[in-house]
Amino acid sequence: MGEVIVITSGKGGVGKTTTTANIGAGLSTFDKKVVVIDTDLGLRNLDVVMGLENLVVYNLVDVIEGSCRLKQALIRDKRYENLYLLPSAQTKDKSAISPGQMKKLTSELKEEFDYILLDCPAGIEQGFQNAIAGADRAIVVTTPEVSAIRDADRIIGLLEQNHLHKIDLVINRIRMDMVKRGDMMSVDDVTEILSVPLIGALPDDEQVVIGTNQGEPVVGLDAKAGKAYLNICKRILGIEVPFLDLDTGNGFFSKLSHIFKKD
Amino acid sequence: MLNRSSVAIAKERLKALVVSDRVSCTPAVYDNICRELYEALSKYMELTEDDFNVEIKRTQVIITFTGEET
Repeated sequence: MGEVIVITSGKGGVGKTTTTANIGAGLSTFDKKVVVIDTDLGLRNLDVVMGLENLVVYNLVDVIEGSCRLKQALIRDKRYENLYLLPSAQTKDKSAISPGQMKKLTSELKEEFDYILLDCPAGIEQGFQNAIAGADRAIVVTTPEVSAIRDADRIIGLLEQNHLHKIDLVINRIRMDMVKRGDMMSVDDVTEILSVPLIGALPDDEQVVIGTNQGEPVVGLDAKAGKAYLNICKRILGIEVPFLDLDTGNGFFSKLSHIFKKD
Repeated sequence: MLNRSSVAIAKERLKALVVSDRVSCTPAVYDNICRELYEALSKYMELTEDDFNVEIKRTQVIITFTGEET
């Protein structure tokens, strides 16, 4: 019986889709059968981030409306043999499906897959309600910014109201040079405010931008973000791993800079 | 180096925002809630404002007194 994980954030542009793609790809390398579902109707993106956009024939709405069989809509990722994508519809909107229909779909998928990852749309409207309907747990993605953390707090409140209590936090795009200067909130600052368990801390890594350009996941690559994504996957699997030291600077100036940190 | 770090400002703003989101009120109303709680409780126990703290979590309101041992 599989587990349904919704990846959500409230605010747009914090890295939900990239996180979904990388966790999905990462989990599949542990010999788990994984399906990633893009639930953002009208703004299809997960296929592009994963580099599978040319293989899209059917989509989530087709499956729900019964215009095709589930198997026909699932795109198999050739690079990761256990990874499948169910793309979103580009021409429908969020009212095309209901929370009840999503719940039915995810419970069907649970029979066959170990992990079902739902890439949630930004916002707190019906798209969000659809995405969380069948979820067993949630991963909330934020960045160390006031607006993103505020939205994450609201989302956590809404998840709790919907009786989803297994919630973990991913903090994305951390810049250690700025943290040291006192110009970016640290992991501790963010978790202090949100008070949910941390499952991943990702550096602001160029490699992620490059990966997205190429439609290639970075998980497992020998870059900080690649390692950090792999660690998230391990934690999802219940393996305890220490958090990476995100500090890349090892020169004299970066060592010196924390002396000048403002309080 | 004498000016405050931008993180300190961010955290202060964020804490005010998050609290008012959680109880769906403005920061001013939140201050009123805290003051009235303080006034109500100080009728029944010895309190000073320094000892008294109200913390609003997503699912609970925590009131703490810290001045008990002297």
